[in-house]
Amino acid sequence: MRALSYRDKDTVIHALSPLAKLAWGGGLVILSLIFNHPVYILILFLSIIPMVKLAGVGREWASALKFSLWLGLSIIVINALFSYHGDHVLLAAPFRLPVIGQPVITLEAIAFGAVMALKLAVIISVFTLINLIVHPDDIMAVLLKMRLPYKSVLVTSLSTRFVPCLVEDMGRISDGYRTRGVQLDAGSWFRKIKNRGKMTTALLSNSLDRAVQIAEAMEARAFGSGQKRVFYKDINISKMDAVTLGVGLLPLAAGIAVRVLGYGDYQYYPNLTSIGFGGWGWVMPAIMIVLLVAILPLAFLRRRAELD
Amino acid sequence: MIRIRELNFTYNGADRPALRNINLTIEDGQFVLITGASGGGKSTLCRVFNGLVPHFYGGKIGGHAGVQGMDILETPPRELATKVGMVFQDPENQLVTTDVEREIAFGLENLGYPKNLIARRIEEALDTAGIARLRFARNNELSGGEKQKVAIASVLALHPEILVLDEPTSELDPQSAEEVLRLLERLNDELGLTVILIEQRLDRVIHLVDRMLVMGDGKIIADGTPGEVMGGDSQGLGIGLPPVIRLMRELKSHDASPDGLPLTVKDARLRLQKVLQSVKPADFAEGGANTAPVLNIDKVWFSYGERAALRNINLDIDRGGFIAVMGRNASGKTTLVKHLNGLLKPSKGKIKLDGVDTRKSTVAELSRRVGYVFQNPNDHLFADTVEDEIAFSLRNRGADEAQIAKAVEGMLDEFELTRYRKSYPRNLSGGERQRVALASVLVGQPEIIVLDEPTRGMDYVLKKKLINYLDDYRRRGNTVIMVSHDVETIAECAERVVLLSEGRVVVAGSKREVLSKALLFSPQINRLAQALSGYGVADTTLTVGEMLEQIG
Repeated sequence: MRALSYRDKDTVIHALSPLAKLAWGGGLVILSLIFNHPVYILILFLSIIPMVKLAGVGREWASALKFSLWLGLSIIVINALFSYHGDHVLLAAPFRLPVIGQPVITLEAIAFGAVMALKLAVIISVFTLINLIVHPDDIMAVLLKMRLPYKSVLVTSLSTRFVPCLVEDMGRISDGYRTRGVQLDAGSWFRKIKNRGKMTTALLSNSLDRAVQIAEAMEARAFGSGQKRVFYKDINISKMDAVTLGVGLLPLAAGIAVRVLGYGDYQYYPNLTSIGFGGWGWVMPAIMIVLLVAILPLAFLRRRAELD
Repeated sequence: MIRIRELNFTYNGADRPALRNINLTIEDGQFVLITGASGGGKSTLCRVFNGLVPHFYGGKIGGHAGVQGMDILETPPRELATKVGMVFQDPENQLVTTDVEREIAFGLENLGYPKNLIARRIEEALDTAGIARLRFARNNELSGGEKQKVAIASVLALHPEILVLDEPTSELDPQSAEEVLRLLERLNDELGLTVILIEQRLDRVIHLVDRMLVMGDGKIIADGTPGEVMGGDSQGLGIGLPPVIRLMRELKSHDASPDGLPLTVKDARLRLQKVLQSVKPADFAEGGANTAPVLNIDKVWFSYGERAALRNINLDIDRGGFIAVMGRNASGKTTLVKHLNGLLKPSKGKIKLDGVDTRKSTVAELSRRVGYVFQNPNDHLFADTVEDEIAFSLRNRGADEAQIAKAVEGMLDEFELTRYRKSYPRNLSGGERQRVALASVLVGQPEIIVLDEPTRGMDYVLKKKLINYLDDYRRRGNTVIMVSHDVETIAECAERVVLLSEGRVVVAGSKREVLSKALLFSPQINRLAQALSGYGVADTTLTVGEMLEQIG
């Protein structure tokens, strides 16, 4: 859990403005949702790799990717088993089910599942990457810059900070339970649910104790003093940062334009259509590639400007 | 200055007051120790100083309380923050942000100070607390001691005139505790900061303080210099006197004493050197060895991911023994004992319980023979009432109700919990919860009991009762394995000591071999005995009783 949290590193990506990184990452997530064409989704996925490489977080990203791989496989399998659309039947069950008819596995369902899995990999990768390259307090500062109320932002930030503690609590409580002779994964479903329920009560109780202690510590350090709060590490946006932010937002803007112009869609059912673009259609993905990686040379420029 | 008159306070829903008729004046620049039995009102009184009681907790309050001329009862804690800084017991649950610099800035930001002033205060606080190198470190990567120093720095940045600390060292290992206490000493000596410290381990702090308050049942039951409080009748105070002070008091009653009470080993040594005439030769027989090992740990390795936590551990644990496992934080103590009941399985090597590999048994099966009591009693408590909690293990094993009822009655009686039998366990005080946790494990009559830092934060009376119980339990043929930092308790009760470092056994032997002549892990009396060895005092002396045998 802690392995996937932010660590200070001396890389050009870590030095980038958090606003630009969040804009770029947010754009990628939105684009992965609005595009359906497998090539576009693949481009989105591949554009993450140089960012990961330059940020030096390859190992952490790989472990998140492993998790998304299992999740992706289950999406493919479930879609193949339960989606009976598509003309290319690869396998048909020798029986019929009421209402549904004859269960079949189609090439189209597998392809659709695979692209959904790739979309998921993009989303998980972006969240992992943002977690690894943007300081949590910077995320908070960005949200404040967007004029979200401080108390709500602080509560959100505190909740995420204590997630690892919650995981540790769960481990200890489960150990406590096991040492009292309980086999958590044995017995009927009812028994398993009952056992887990008791653990949840203990977990909630610990969390409440922790919340009171944190609130007490905050109160003792003048939280809610009535004075206008100052933000010591407020995010200042230099001209360079503004340019980077603009470039970070470009893929999203261009992607929306591409979709409005009717590109980036793909039809899976009833037959897979060609993934080729025809004519000048390849220009759109090419533009997307350029815009998605445009932030990287800017990161180097920013670092050079900093050093100068 | 803190001035409290006729103060009474009752928490909402409580049936009796937490503070009763408190009259107290604390002058500026004093170093005040507050100690006493659990549930005696120490933490509540400290929370009065910065207004958390009554403003944060609510409740019924009467009397007068003022700090630096401000009426506490009328002023909320956030307004008192620049007068009274408070550091809490749990290092984890008082840090709000994610890194050290932002943590120190937090209070200053809340007060709306200008950024240049915040920057200056951060510098000062980092230097004063001696943590400048941690400036950009992430809070979750700090050790417990470092977290406490960050908490102190974040409070110091507000320039309080009074610093209140609620058992800040109870969750730290001896080295970290020593560092935190040294910092407090410096803040008091050099900056003239008033320091008010709650602490149970008097041997750690008594030489630092000017004044000592003992609380019991919501009242101040003793108040004076450490010499006055501990030199008088301390019997009913519920405090554990440091061993050198106990020794001197015993010597007085033996009519062989030097005057006054020493607060440090050096002080005791100088006084004794003046009067020491005859020393009887000591014979500390080591008994009870060479029984068959009940647990055999053979070349055990264990890793958390890529980090090796145990490295080639080889140990035999004798049946009926009392073994203490010691070492710095993260030295592998808890990892080692978690292997004994199967919670962790070795990556390499074997652990045999009566010759049978523990990997062949489930934790549930092993729990019948190896009981395990966790550091935090909350990790044990799931049931709705104390009696259900104690009955849980037996019910889970399918024991019949008559047998369960009898066993539960026995445990309620043994641990003085009968009056709480219908109470919700998590509503009890820390000491009471600890007793429920112990009872809930011991009701199953395991032949081996593993306790992970059971005396941490425990008051003297409870600690003494626990140790007596464990000693009795061991005499009935059972084996006790205790992880602890508490050298004085180990010197009194353990037979063997295993010292771990970096996941390896550095030394394992009789307590006399391990604890005597050591620099950090030797009890006060042994450090005194080493200094007096030239007079014929055995340098393996560990306890007050043993010292008295020789010089009493």
